[in-house]
Amino acid sequence: MAVLHAWRTARVTPLGELHAPPRMTAVLVRLTVQVVLVASLWSGLYANTGAKAGMSREQAITYAVLAVLASRLRELDQFAGRDTVIQHMHFGTIVYWYLRPLPPARYHALRAVGEQVYGAAWALAGYAVCLAAGVVEPPGSAAVAGVFVLSLLLGQLVLYHVMLLLDQMCFWTVRNTAAMLILIFAQNLMSGVYAPLWFFPGWFRTLSTFLPFQATLNVPLSLYVGRIQLSDAGGQLAVQAGWVVLLHLFTRFLWRRAARRVISQGG
Amino acid sequence: MIGSIEVRSLSRSFHTTVRRPGFAGTLRSLVNPERAVKHAVSDISFDVAPGELLALLGPNGAGKSTTIKMLTGILTPTSGEARVAGVVPYEERERNARNIGAVFGQRTQLWWDLPVKESFAILRDIYDVPKDEHTARLREFDDILELSAFWDTRVRHLSLGQRVRCDLAAALLHDPPVVFLDEPTIGMDVVVKEQVREFLRHQVEERGRTVLLTTHDMTEVERLAERVVLINHGRLVLDGSLDEIRRKFGSTWQVRATLADGHTDVVPPPGIALLRQDGPQVVFGPDGPEAPTVHQALKAVIERYEVTGIAIDEADLEDVMRVAYAHAEPAAEGV
Repeated sequence: MAVLHAWRTARVTPLGELHAPPRMTAVLVRLTVQVVLVASLWSGLYANTGAKAGMSREQAITYAVLAVLASRLRELDQFAGRDTVIQHMHFGTIVYWYLRPLPPARYHALRAVGEQVYGAAWALAGYAVCLAAGVVEPPGSAAVAGVFVLSLLLGQLVLYHVMLLLDQMCFWTVRNTAAMLILIFAQNLMSGVYAPLWFFPGWFRTLSTFLPFQATLNVPLSLYVGRIQLSDAGGQLAVQAGWVVLLHLFTRFLWRRAARRVISQGG
Repeated sequence: MIGSIEVRSLSRSFHTTVRRPGFAGTLRSLVNPERAVKHAVSDISFDVAPGELLALLGPNGAGKSTTIKMLTGILTPTSGEARVAGVVPYEERERNARNIGAVFGQRTQLWWDLPVKESFAILRDIYDVPKDEHTARLREFDDILELSAFWDTRVRHLSLGQRVRCDLAAALLHDPPVVFLDEPTIGMDVVVKEQVREFLRHQVEERGRTVLLTTHDMTEVERLAERVVLINHGRLVLDGSLDEIRRKFGSTWQVRATLADGHTDVVPPPGIALLRQDGPQVVFGPDGPEAPTVHQALKAVIERYEVTGIAIDEADLEDVMRVAYAHAEPAAEGV
């Protein structure tokens, strides 16, 4: 039965999206426009030069397009579904999370799994189209592909916990809008969504190593395009796993503290 | 014991920061915050027997919702103890969750983007309810609440009345012996209110569920509750049947009479006060704790005066509760 409730809870977002075709159309249009623009931008930047920041034209375009597709994994219209922590705090419906025989932490995680699997379906479809159209390069080898998938998985776990931290902040501050804006900017900038981290100055990349954002996308994408060699993958995967463990312990501690804050903030 | 609620000396205090007025005051509050303690619930005790419907009443801010939140396990009391169906709710939240259902006013627990039936299915799997039981229960709820007319609709498209009916069903789908309802019919039209009341009556009388209800709707109390617990300023003011409350606070009748000529100097009978006089039109009311009943007063007025017209206004439960709330004020302030 545990499998059943996990399945039911995980499929809330995909089902909600399927019930709202205009939202799906918007995703398709946005993803297409973004991929075309990003590919055009990087093609233009490389028009009169060979390699920059240690990346060839093909590597840069592949990195940038994959970053656009991967950023789709956790960018769903949760707000429209009224199932974000901030909305539950605002409407006082957060109490129901504490009235079910399913711990809030597990419910939150199951919902995220569903969202990410659904987002992955979009990303995978986009990847297949881009691969067929020759916009992105295939991975260098089966080993690279395998390490990339593992690294992407760890990166998504890091990202989940970072987003969870923001959600948990609502138990103390009710609103997390400002923090969310800062996080979205920091995440896009420091994970490589705006531009591969290899194009940034050395001090910026050094700073990034102390933050979890580069572990979410830059590491797996760099592994995919070969900017990080397979021989260095072990260390990078270990850093990602370290972030997962650290963030997991911290968010687990915050869940326990948050349970005492349900009423004072949740109505 | 399955279905019982036991509350012993339950208290809950909140620590808050007092915000000083003005810009300078706000800055001072930031640097040197002034702490205050608010006693939301103070030392309340009561029991609810299995299969009983108890109305927990009180004015806004009396501590009703805080009490319910402690009994549902969301909130831990500062002191005292509560047991719901034999479980200490705030110590064993998950075990307690299987024994209780709850509806908090207009706050929905349904998934906004999904059809209602899909929400029911999620809850069925979360609570491990067998499919055939789930289907049978839905059919039973549908008979009274008429859910099938809109249970394929997405929650975001439901009217308030439809949504609350679905929320009631959602709260009872796992067959809990104890149900907490915090103002479940607030904002609903009379037809839907009656439907909800019938549903609750059915759940108590036929299914033997224990219901703890808070409401400001006295018609609801009259139609549903056998017993009432009145709290104010977090303290228990009264615990008794509706008849007891009426006896204690309900003597707010008025006798309006039109006197025949010659009655200019009206001296009312003992226990009766002259409230107003406008020429021959007079209004009498009860005077003191030994006041007669409205029928005794009517008889006394007719015997004493020659009247050309007479009418009585008996207080309804709303008036009774108004008196009860007002009566509770000084006691609470004196605590």
